[in-house]
Amino acid sequence: MAGLSKTEILLKGLEILSEYYSLGLDKPPLSLELKRLKEEALRYMEALKQIRRKEEALKEVVKEIRGVNEVVDKYGENPSALIQILLDLQAKNHWISKIALLWISERLRIPLSQIYQVVTFYKAFSLKPRGKHLIRVCLGTACHVRGGPKIMEAVERHLGISRGETTPDGLFTLESVNCLGCCALGPVMMVDDKYYGNLTPTSAVKVLDKIRRGESEK
Amino acid sequence: MTWRIRGKKMLEKIRSEILSRREPSKPCIAICVSTGCTSLGSLELVERLKEELEKRGLTDKVDLKLTGCLGFCELGPRLTIYPGEIPYFKVKPEDAEDIVSQTIIKGQIIERLLYVDPSTGERIRRLEDIPFYRYQYRLLLENNAKIDPKNIEDYIALGGYQALAKALFEMKPEEIVEEIKRSGLRGRGGGGFPTGVKWETTRNAPGEPKYVLVNCDEGDPGAFMDRALMEGNPHLVLEGLIIGAYAIGASQGYVYVREEYPLAVKNITLAIQQAQEHGLLGEDIMGSGFSFHVKVHRGAGAFVSGESTALMSAIEGRVGEPRLKYIHTAVKGLWDKPSCLNNVETWANVPYIILRGADWFRSIGTPDSPGTKIFSLVGKVKNTGLVEVPMGITLRDIIFKIGGGIREGKKFKAVQTGGPSGGFIPEQYLDTPVDFDSLTKLGSMMGSGGMIVMDEDTCIVDVTRYYVDFLFQESCGKCVPCREGLKQARKILNHICEGKGTMEDLETLQDLSELLRNASLCALGTTAANPIMTSIEYFRNEYEAHILEKRCPAKVCKALVAYYNNPEKCQACGICLRNCPVQAISGEKDIVHVINQDRCIRCGVCFAVCPFNAVEKYSPATPPPAKYGVKVVRRKKEK
Repeated sequence: MAGLSKTEILLKGLEILSEYYSLGLDKPPLSLELKRLKEEALRYMEALKQIRRKEEALKEVVKEIRGVNEVVDKYGENPSALIQILLDLQAKNHWISKIALLWISERLRIPLSQIYQVVTFYKAFSLKPRGKHLIRVCLGTACHVRGGPKIMEAVERHLGISRGETTPDGLFTLESVNCLGCCALGPVMMVDDKYYGNLTPTSAVKVLDKIRRGESEK
Repeated sequence: MTWRIRGKKMLEKIRSEILSRREPSKPCIAICVSTGCTSLGSLELVERLKEELEKRGLTDKVDLKLTGCLGFCELGPRLTIYPGEIPYFKVKPEDAEDIVSQTIIKGQIIERLLYVDPSTGERIRRLEDIPFYRYQYRLLLENNAKIDPKNIEDYIALGGYQALAKALFEMKPEEIVEEIKRSGLRGRGGGGFPTGVKWETTRNAPGEPKYVLVNCDEGDPGAFMDRALMEGNPHLVLEGLIIGAYAIGASQGYVYVREEYPLAVKNITLAIQQAQEHGLLGEDIMGSGFSFHVKVHRGAGAFVSGESTALMSAIEGRVGEPRLKYIHTAVKGLWDKPSCLNNVETWANVPYIILRGADWFRSIGTPDSPGTKIFSLVGKVKNTGLVEVPMGITLRDIIFKIGGGIREGKKFKAVQTGGPSGGFIPEQYLDTPVDFDSLTKLGSMMGSGGMIVMDEDTCIVDVTRYYVDFLFQESCGKCVPCREGLKQARKILNHICEGKGTMEDLETLQDLSELLRNASLCALGTTAANPIMTSIEYFRNEYEAHILEKRCPAKVCKALVAYYNNPEKCQACGICLRNCPVQAISGEKDIVHVINQDRCIRCGVCFAVCPFNAVEKYSPATPPPAKYGVKVVRRKKEK
């Protein structure tokens, strides 16, 4: 019945009604009966919507599981490949969903608790969806003595979020990183896979503004 | 063309074939495309050069070589033109046209792209004459300029894999171990443990299979030598590893690279694949009957995973937490089998020792620490970048001769070696020779090679707090002294930086350090004491200033600093006013701007943007009282 339109449902209702009449069940006035039928039709539509939502959710789950399968097949069902599998998934989706964790646990035969321990131990993994652009401000020693914390503060102020958070529009996720290995160019910040060196608080903010402008033009 | 090398003679033949295919007179532009130069725009430069060459129909007549790190990252993007070995610095994409039209076609040198000696103002034509390079001994890094890391032929052309051939066909495994022992090579990851002894232990340990591992989990902030080797010359590390595997009797190897180094992961993976295709890795290597396989394992961001037991547990797919080492990993390591883990730089030394001999190796450096060491010289020094020096050189030579001294004419305060768990070394010890034992005596350590220079504007208490905070966050939490001790130390240091410290805190910090040093499970905890101990020992006066006078001598600690706009210097230009994120500055045209201390969040933006240096820092945070409505005194703009 999934493909029925609103009018079709209404007509179907009237058809049933005509059967009522033919069976002599025409006691209540027609207007009341019509109202009742309309309500019934609405309830039916609501249920249909729910089913659709469930269908969508199921499709998501299937997609997620397919994605996990692809990665797991690359490494084989080897428990020692757990971290490599998680890294690939993280790189692909920018986060690791509950379903992915459950399915990895199923396929590698590793208890979920152990996977959860690994995911929360290492910094590379995120259990929350990340923004479109990942900003990593380096707070390594070389950057620290050259003003890395000031860059971080400026970015935090500019975006109105703290490190580890995502902007409400889902555009940026801000993180700190211990060292990007570009110490000679400190302070350094990385947006997605691009490095920006020799920053000042003002120039760091300009970089982000430019990305934001580029996004709104799209 | 895929060829599989079998036997030593064939390697020679392939090498001469590669060389004969190359014309030495053919111009070659070598551009650094490692992480540092890329962030300065070297990839755009490559594109422009390609366009220029194509425009002039020179694409086939000029080689473009994309190389790894050349060390002098400060002045990137770096480019070298052969023949003639002309070094250009700070090359911009716009320079591509001139490089092709003048240097490549006419053979003229573009003066503006040469290095300028800051002391004489002279432009330097030869790389060896630049002070940054003159005092170095570039053994491991030398070939980075000549090799495209994605091309195995480049490595073979320079004599690559000859050490492996010598090891496989002319030496017995025991002889190799003996040679490494005799060379006196010590672990470059920081521990300084004799490499040969480690190899021997694994070799003699019962159990099969045996494993060899490369540690490229360069987690020390401020250090990037392993990255440069992995990105720039991955075959060198791989050759060392294969020789080690043969000597130890291992059949499986792992390369552990941190995930934050995507290019290093890419290049080593490709190197492994190429070596396999050419019969230098895999089954029956070079026809010798020896088989050995290598896998790359990416780390997932945990400082403690660089510790040997933690690293092995990470490769097994578990949380990278260390365990007690009653039995060394050399005997019971990965999957409880004998495992030999060495740092990237250690492995990279192996082919040189095998090819040139232990005696040659001992002729470099000091008797107890032979060979060279790569340092990443960063912080407030003029010439930042990677430097490779013979062991035994003094810290002063590295910082002042190679590094060119401190930036902006400031005064040197301290140098910090060994990463977060190293110590601060003050000026009076700058003449200490750099080797494993001397640095340990000063309360610091060699570490993996980070060397962070600090000047008078660096607050030692703040940096100590930074290190303790770093180690606290990276502590895995398994043992109590490290987990709780660092937490308390951090709390105390935070208090001191906020001006709430007491003199008793210093004693508590020292007690905590003793505890950390004696009772922690792994080196993360035991060495965490180093920054605390050395900073209190050498810079007690700074702690006292914070505690007793509520003053931060370097004017860094926020709670102890106030910003003040000097009415005699302010030109009411409005720049600070516009940039202040909290609207704490008031003023108008011709009227001196005033910082409202109650509103100010001490972000320092006004200090950074003021073109007249009118904004001044006060510590203790008691600036002169603000006067509103003062007329501007006009003066010429300061430069």
